[in-house]
Amino acid sequence: MADSVQELKQALNITGDAMVEKSDGSVRLVGSKCSACGDWIFPPTPVCPECMSESVERRELSEIGCLYSWSVVRIAPKNWKTPFVAGYVDFPEKVRVFAHMVDIDPECLSFDMKLSVCKAVVGQDADGTQIESYSFLPAEGRN
Amino acid sequence: MRRVAILGAGMVPFGKYPGKTLSEIAWPAVKAAIEDSNIPKKTIEAAYCGTALGGMMSGQRILKTLGITGLPIINIENACSSSSTAFREAWIAVAAGVYDVVVVIGVEKLTKFGGGTLPLEKEDFEVAHGLVMPALYAMRARRYMHEFGLTEDHLAKVSVKARNHGKHNPDAQLREPTTVEEVNRSRPVADPLKLFHCCPSGDGAAAVLICAEDVASKYGGVPINVVGSEINSGKYMTGFRDMTSPEITVRGAAQLYEEAGIGPEDIDLAEVHDAFSIAELLYYEALGFCPRGEAGRLIDEGETSVGGRIPVNPSGGLLAKGHPIGATGVAQIVEIVRQLRGQCGDRQVEDAKVGLTHCTGGGVSGFDHGVCSIHLFSR
Repeated sequence: MADSVQELKQALNITGDAMVEKSDGSVRLVGSKCSACGDWIFPPTPVCPECMSESVERRELSEIGCLYSWSVVRIAPKNWKTPFVAGYVDFPEKVRVFAHMVDIDPECLSFDMKLSVCKAVVGQDADGTQIESYSFLPAEGRN
Repeated sequence: MRRVAILGAGMVPFGKYPGKTLSEIAWPAVKAAIEDSNIPKKTIEAAYCGTALGGMMSGQRILKTLGITGLPIINIENACSSSSTAFREAWIAVAAGVYDVVVVIGVEKLTKFGGGTLPLEKEDFEVAHGLVMPALYAMRARRYMHEFGLTEDHLAKVSVKARNHGKHNPDAQLREPTTVEEVNRSRPVADPLKLFHCCPSGDGAAAVLICAEDVASKYGGVPINVVGSEINSGKYMTGFRDMTSPEITVRGAAQLYEEAGIGPEDIDLAEVHDAFSIAELLYYEALGFCPRGEAGRLIDEGETSVGGRIPVNPSGGLLAKGHPIGATGVAQIVEIVRQLRGQCGDRQVEDAKVGLTHCTGGGVSGFDHGVCSIHLFSR
């Protein structure tokens, strides 16, 4: 019974407007690009921290980022399923993104390796609602 | 600006006091600082209380216990730098001539959260995605190990040193010595960090009494001079940042050394923010105790142990003394006061004349650290 109730619940998306799903099922991250000074910001923001311009537009980030560092995290608040793999991924637009790497063997990770973004369940709320966000996978054939 | 001195210092042993209120934890530290100063409590003109998670009006709740009321009581939150920020604000007020005698308190009760990692602000984007402090420091550690050839044994040696110092400090939370093997075998927390690479969670309080230098001479004792005070926020960087070099500490130290006319070579001991073993190593370089990439050599050669060239965290540091976060900044100052007075027994740094405290605070995305406060003291 409890299971069927959970199935009806919609997963909680914690990314706000920082992720879009494309018609082909692929996923891209979205940041802001300042029309005044050209700076990129992630996640999207209504005001540019560099020049305070509010003339910022939502733009998709590149598909591929580079892994700066990572950890296998074994303690965390209880809505995270531990252990989880997480790291910082740098994008060509000069933004850094903290993200889970859900279906990844940490042994296969290496510094500056290329990763591509995907969608994944990264945790579970106290009431059993699944938490969705972006995640990363090795970018096939690009390392 | 007037010169400012510390006349009294007190703290309670850091540990776990789940059965005590914040006020019950803190008042003995405040009373000890006042008694240590020989200054009558009625002389105190203002109080600054630093706590990150103590709740509303912590200073009032503590000071009513000792009947120190009817004066300005300012409560300050700045994460792990809450009480070093409180000290800085108190110093400004005395140096500017607003008050002559001020008490500064640092206090925290983390046992009320029932253990686990430090609760961070859930509105923050990275925190909402599961970032916890051990993971952040683990990523720093992994990148530094990659770039500079640091090993897990180097990390472990920091924890071993901390415990070796802490065993001589009756106010330290962890007083049992440990070994490199034991640290390496301890429970993994966030790879490559193990449990013994992380500061313990706990409760505690510390207090100091500061006054204008000319007032200090009226009360006798050995005044410890505040010779430099610096605070900064981190720089918000949405893109690449070098996590092997904490920019806020590098920037803050350079600024402070220039203002004070004191360089790293003049410092006899330092209490730095070793919330995790990797942090202490990064700060050796950021504070100028060694060149970039040489932190591993420094710990290998024992230069930062008591008896070495530049003893770091003779109190045991956050790793052994403990880290009730809002209490840490003032507790570091208490250790420097006691060291400069020569009161530290088996952990005494010989002929210590100049001491430094360094306290950071983090947990906000886009900042390497949100805050860093550095102070210099001399006798």
